[in-house]
Amino acid sequence: MSEGHVQLVSLTKHFDGAAVVNGISLEVEPGEFFSLLGPSGCGKTTTLRMVAGFEAPSSGRILLDGVDVGSRAPNHRNVNTVFQSYALFPFLTVAENVAFGMRFKSVPKPERQRRVAEALELVQLSGLERRRPNQLSGGQQQRVALARALVRRPAVLLLDEPLGALDAKLRRSLQVELGALQKQVGITFLYVTHDQEEALTMSDRLAVMNKGRIVQLGTPAEVYNEPADAYVADFLGVSNLMDAEVDPGPSGQGCCRLRLGEFQLEARTGKIDATGTVKLAIRPERVHLHSYEESGPNRVPGMVERVVFIGSTTHLHVRLATGESLQAMVRNDGSTLPYSQGTAVSIALPADALRVLPDPGESVAEIRAETVGEQLLDLTS
Amino acid sequence: MADRGDTSSRRDRLLWMGLAAPGAIWLLVLFVVPFYVMLAVAGGGINEFFQTVVPVWNPLHWSSWNLSGVWRDITGNGAFIGPAALRTLVYTAVATVISLAIAYPVAYFVARHAGRRKAFYLVLLIAPFWVSYMMRMLAWIDLLQQGGIFNSALSSVGLPGNTDWLGGKSVTVIFGLVYGYIPYLILVLYAFLDRIDQRLIEAARDLGLSKARTFWQVTIPLSKPALIAGTFITVLPMLGDYYTNQLLSGAPGTTMIGNVIEGQLDAPGYTGQGAVLSLMLLVVLLIPMTYYVVSTARASRENA
Amino acid sequence: MAVELDDAQIATTSGAGLRLADRLRPSPWRQPWGMEGFTCLYILWSIVPIAIAVLFSFNKGASQSSWQGFSTKWYVGNSVQSVLHNPVLHQAVIQTLVLAVLTTAICVPIGVAFAIGIDRWRSRTSATLNLTMIFSFVIPELLLAIALFLLVTQALTFIGLGTEAEVAGLVVWNLSWPAVIVRARLVSIGRSYEEAATDLGASRLGAIRRVLLPMLMPAVFASAVLVFASTVDDFVIVEQLSSTAATQPMSVLIYANVHGGLSGPALNALATIMLLFSLLAALIGLLAYRWMTRGERQSSVEALTNIAGM
Repeated sequence: MSEGHVQLVSLTKHFDGAAVVNGISLEVEPGEFFSLLGPSGCGKTTTLRMVAGFEAPSSGRILLDGVDVGSRAPNHRNVNTVFQSYALFPFLTVAENVAFGMRFKSVPKPERQRRVAEALELVQLSGLERRRPNQLSGGQQQRVALARALVRRPAVLLLDEPLGALDAKLRRSLQVELGALQKQVGITFLYVTHDQEEALTMSDRLAVMNKGRIVQLGTPAEVYNEPADAYVADFLGVSNLMDAEVDPGPSGQGCCRLRLGEFQLEARTGKIDATGTVKLAIRPERVHLHSYEESGPNRVPGMVERVVFIGSTTHLHVRLATGESLQAMVRNDGSTLPYSQGTAVSIALPADALRVLPDPGESVAEIRAETVGEQLLDLTS
Repeated sequence: MADRGDTSSRRDRLLWMGLAAPGAIWLLVLFVVPFYVMLAVAGGGINEFFQTVVPVWNPLHWSSWNLSGVWRDITGNGAFIGPAALRTLVYTAVATVISLAIAYPVAYFVARHAGRRKAFYLVLLIAPFWVSYMMRMLAWIDLLQQGGIFNSALSSVGLPGNTDWLGGKSVTVIFGLVYGYIPYLILVLYAFLDRIDQRLIEAARDLGLSKARTFWQVTIPLSKPALIAGTFITVLPMLGDYYTNQLLSGAPGTTMIGNVIEGQLDAPGYTGQGAVLSLMLLVVLLIPMTYYVVSTARASRENA
Repeated sequence: MAVELDDAQIATTSGAGLRLADRLRPSPWRQPWGMEGFTCLYILWSIVPIAIAVLFSFNKGASQSSWQGFSTKWYVGNSVQSVLHNPVLHQAVIQTLVLAVLTTAICVPIGVAFAIGIDRWRSRTSATLNLTMIFSFVIPELLLAIALFLLVTQALTFIGLGTEAEVAGLVVWNLSWPAVIVRARLVSIGRSYEEAATDLGASRLGAIRRVLLPMLMPAVFASAVLVFASTVDDFVIVEQLSSTAATQPMSVLIYANVHGGLSGPALNALATIMLLFSLLAALIGLLAYRWMTRGERQSSVEALTNIAGM
């Protein structure tokens, strides 16, 4: 009985001379829900395809339960894939689609029907055996694809942005279902997505990728609350990145003194022993607004530029006196906000929520563009 | 994400090559090699006694004997190739222009304005495609005969009804070319015009262009690939046509270059010269053919 | 100084102005009757002469231009001149069928395999082969026919003229039908289905057999129909490569006898039979295509264009 332990060792893939995947190393524990997260073009899908066997690595190793499968054809690996486009065979019924893989595992015929029924029940599609794929909705097709892969009881299930083609509400409900399904079946899931909310919701651990490399690997909480750099911070949710300078001179215990424009701030998380220019990040839910007259530590005066009502929360876009734009988030608890567009406020950036991140040398705008997978046009040169 | 599938591992490669092999061999033996044979015959000689062809296989031994024979027939006294070549160009040009003038509106209408009746019209447009060239010519031979329906119709409206249409008239041949080739032209034009994004035209109207200006400044440029492809697909085969003339005229005054080539080939002792002429036609067509082939290949790759 | 109109004034002035302008300017969405009429005229011009020719194949008399009553003598009645009884005509019908069936049976499998192989095998050689195939499509048939004639009379004389040569030539001439149509379908199918198949345990060849081919069937069938119809109608290559009268199909027979020889209506009868073969093939093809793509949603327009090979 295979366990589903996946190891990637310095996996690299070159296309036309460029390294699309540039030295990926990670380990997925059996039964883990592991996500590869990153913008389009970061190499996550290519990595997945190499594990599946559709692309041959340029260098590096792929180990499945200790066995090097890097040179094996896809049909000789104990992994199965759920494709982004589902790839359901249009000329077969749902039941025939699901049963497709079993003939290659020499499962006896009577057993096959039972397993098909079992798989369809698992994905809550019992009763649709006779339908054809084009008679199903997107969500239903996705479940068939899932059933088809699971019926073979692989050691690892690979999922390539399977929810990408579905609308937001369906996506969210399926995310929860997929997470529950994975725990129920106990198979290792290796999941690829560009949607950070999705990765945070479902994964046990995740790896944030950029330009073919892993930038940070950890649990959702770790990656969100303790981003290793500005890119990760900005990729997962709103980061409110700012440029700041570390105050020369002695710093206090466990904190870093910084200058943001003409204001002095203290930060207690992140790379507090940094010097020189740094990036600062703070999550919108930790930014607090107070009335303009109030004063206190780590306060910057500013103005409310926009109030955006999202439903359960309200986002306040504020502009600091130093010029930066930040987002603050307030839960809608029924009380009216004392702020509206144009209100002058005092913005509090609590020291234990303010994170110091190394300066990668790029501007905030450039980092933002990177998280979308684009390059900023250099219009100045 | 672009499909840069790495399906060329060693075992796979052999599979693909194996699949392509029969077709490749067939193409090689029955398409490429025959033209080499043609070269060998063109550069060869004849057996004076039997008046049969003696091909010369080694390129180093090719003679220009046949070539000079053809050259004489082009430039010397009693030259008959030149007029035929010129006539071919004229016939083809006229027939192509007429065909385009008819085909474009029809294709445009069915592609863009036919609405609910589109399938209906499409069937009617495709139908002649399934009718053999023979039958299409036969139909007009029947109609254009001396005592035929066309002449009767003419005389019934007061026009002279005793013209011998099939006796060697350029008009008839050109008409035949148009009638014969237009179905292919319409289908090619349709295929391209159908693909024009209607939204581009709507955007132009939305931005304030009048119907006429939209047509000239947006629709026609967008139709360029259609017109180019259509022209190629009509002109290239038409230049090698010989049967239209043979069927609808048969007189020496309307011969096209295809007829000349065919005649040379059948005449004993002139096969070599026929081969030379064929090669000359091929060379003339090579540039437009290559252009068409390369752009088609590139277009299909881009659509992939 | 800005003139301020109240809402009522604006409504009346612009309303009145609109009505007038509307009457003068034609609606941009009216049907283009002119183009439709022109199209109908073209279709009539295109089809009516053929209908007349078919009609005259049932002529009682021997004329192709004056109608003398309805008769099927050219097909079955007349013991000397009808297609059924005249050995020359009879043989031509059989030869057409033989050529069409043989060519289709050889050309389609080779063409389909070629399409799949060329699509996957990315190299200079395959690109060259692809270009060669497109060349064979765009070259005037006469040139190829002559080259083939010289090939079998001067080089590969063991083939010689006759049915084998005719079939070989027809296969090469029609190779581009399956190659192009199947290739286009391959491109739109993409790789994901085969990948899914191998992912689920099939070998490469198994994936092609079990997944790709079933999905290609409509295109394969469409190209088979086209090859069949094209071969029935072909005569340039066949004429050059025929040897005896026995190896002349209907198309060549008609061509040879247009200016005398066989009676007019007999030729019409032959041509009508050719038409029937083509149309039957087209009908079978369309029905088979619809049946095969019943799992997919396609409008009849799309189906028609696919059959015609576009």
